[in-house]
Amino acid sequence: MIRKTLLLFLAIGFGLGLMTACGLLSPEPSFAPTHPPQETSAGRPLCSDCHGAETIKGSLKTFASFDHTPAFVKDHRYLANQSSGTCAACHAQSFCSDCHAGKTMMNPSVKLGNRPDRETPHRGNYLAVHRMDGKMDPTSCYKCHGRANNDKCIACHK
Amino acid sequence: MKQRSHLLLLATLVSASAWGQEVTVNSTSMVQYWKEEVPGFDKKTFTPVTQYLDVDATKLGSDGLSMHLYGWGMADLSDSSLLSGKKSDGYLTYGYLDYRFAQANAEIKGGRFLVNQGVAIEQVDGISARTDLAGGFTISVFGGRPVRYRTANAAAQSDYEFQNDFIFGSRLSTRVLSFGEVGLSFLQDGTKPAKDLPIPSQIDYTRKQVGLDFRLSPVSSVDLSGRTVYDMASRPEAITNQDKTPSRVAEHDYTATVKLASNLSVSGNFTERNFQAYFAGTNLPSLFNQVERDAHRAYEGRVTWSPVTAFQVVTDYRHTHRDTYGDADRFGLEGRWTVSELKLQTGLGYHKVNADDARSTSAILPGPPLPGAQAATYGLTHAEVRGWVMYTGSLISGSLDGIFQNFKDSANPQLNGRGTIYQLVGSLGLQSTSNLKFSADVSYGSDPLYFKELRGLLRVEYRFGTAGKGGSK
Repeated sequence: MIRKTLLLFLAIGFGLGLMTACGLLSPEPSFAPTHPPQETSAGRPLCSDCHGAETIKGSLKTFASFDHTPAFVKDHRYLANQSSGTCAACHAQSFCSDCHAGKTMMNPSVKLGNRPDRETPHRGNYLAVHRMDGKMDPTSCYKCHGRANNDKCIACHK
Repeated sequence: MKQRSHLLLLATLVSASAWGQEVTVNSTSMVQYWKEEVPGFDKKTFTPVTQYLDVDATKLGSDGLSMHLYGWGMADLSDSSLLSGKKSDGYLTYGYLDYRFAQANAEIKGGRFLVNQGVAIEQVDGISARTDLAGGFTISVFGGRPVRYRTANAAAQSDYEFQNDFIFGSRLSTRVLSFGEVGLSFLQDGTKPAKDLPIPSQIDYTRKQVGLDFRLSPVSSVDLSGRTVYDMASRPEAITNQDKTPSRVAEHDYTATVKLASNLSVSGNFTERNFQAYFAGTNLPSLFNQVERDAHRAYEGRVTWSPVTAFQVVTDYRHTHRDTYGDADRFGLEGRWTVSELKLQTGLGYHKVNADDARSTSAILPGPPLPGAQAATYGLTHAEVRGWVMYTGSLISGSLDGIFQNFKDSANPQLNGRGTIYQLVGSLGLQSTSNLKFSADVSYGSDPLYFKELRGLLRVEYRFGTAGKGGSK
């Protein structure tokens, strides 16, 4: 009897919570999941070539924020972290996984050896020089190899 | 995830794609070839074949439901190229079902997926959900089992798997139209800290972190982005009771960018990372030592100038300091030129690194140096030049990419007497149909590990797609 009453209260609580939560939801329609097919010129795309000063619905940021300038490519971690839905409008997720993968077989620079325009890490035989970079800043290694993708590191760093 | 679960998930997801109204399949097959001759060892020939597969199927019965799958498998046709000695391997990077609601950017995912929200940059077997709330707020949560990787030995692996039983994270943010976004996030990876192990350990594979991230753009020409990650976990006493109390701040990472003109921008970055908090949760504590009191700080400045749209030049300066090593300065210049009419892109860069000398192992050992021992210190200062050119025609494509590094102190023991390191990669491709492309890469170089290195790679890329989303650029 007590259990039934408790379950009833829980169900009512859950229902009320759900209705409150639904009332809290933004009434705005969702951001388009896919950018319409568009012919872009060679090189990195600039969203502001076509879009004006308006903001992107999904992230409330300006289109110019996503212009693929050298600064954007270097600092894309901030926007990808906050507004990955905007990235997904043009990029399939596998594009990110070319570099950001939990376990990968090939160095991204070897895998994309035919794409020198992409800023993949570890150009050249990086294995040979990583010890020197590691002395200056091991935290730069940690981002990709600290908790994953370190099968090869284990061979020496036991 | 057990192999059987992998296969079950794979079968479910692949069969689900049959229901998709829009299906995109990207397949890349690669064969590499190289030989290795090391004095005193057997000659070896390596021919690994690697297959990457990426499937995206959308509108699975409902407009909002989609399936995404990406993974790889490899096999060695001659000697084993894997350190384990095995001749095959494979991995599922992600495989999940995703439902996007028509309202509030609400989304639910289930399966194996990658999370990148606030403090969490994770790979999870579980579920996640996010939605926009009224008033500009956004909330996202995820939970499940963390994807675990191999550690160095079996005893450590059992501790690692015992501790990393569950992962949970959440982020709440607020957005102001055109002004910016501020987020607060929390992550707990593993519920059993090292002190709860049957034999308590100083190596803790769990994490409990809280983070603050923001991006503010008070005027369109100014962009301030950054994040701070704070380590909330209680650490074993033997570590925290040492003479220097380590900072609980795992990371500060802040960048400011100012557009001085439409073709000129200046940006500055500050980063600080405290090793004990930053390395928390590593599965490789022998390399990323949590007991270290070390810290790293970096300041960087960058100027980007684009006199014409097709040409960009970036000059940068970065100063880094590591407590137990010293200082290093990296500065240089790089340019990138796109000639659309010729379907040609090219880039050239030069960087110089002025770094403090590093202490060799013999300098750390007590007592006088042994006869014939290496120098007490050695230099890391070097210069780097990189140049590349890429042509992308409708039928033929090709590229040439060269990197050259010259170290000032060729007595550096890590260089094995090679003060000059270089590699040149050439690639030639044929787009035989709109869906099928063949390409071949050849690389030649010299470095401290391989005095002469010649490698070949053949690549077959197949793309079948009814959906518009790409991602090749």
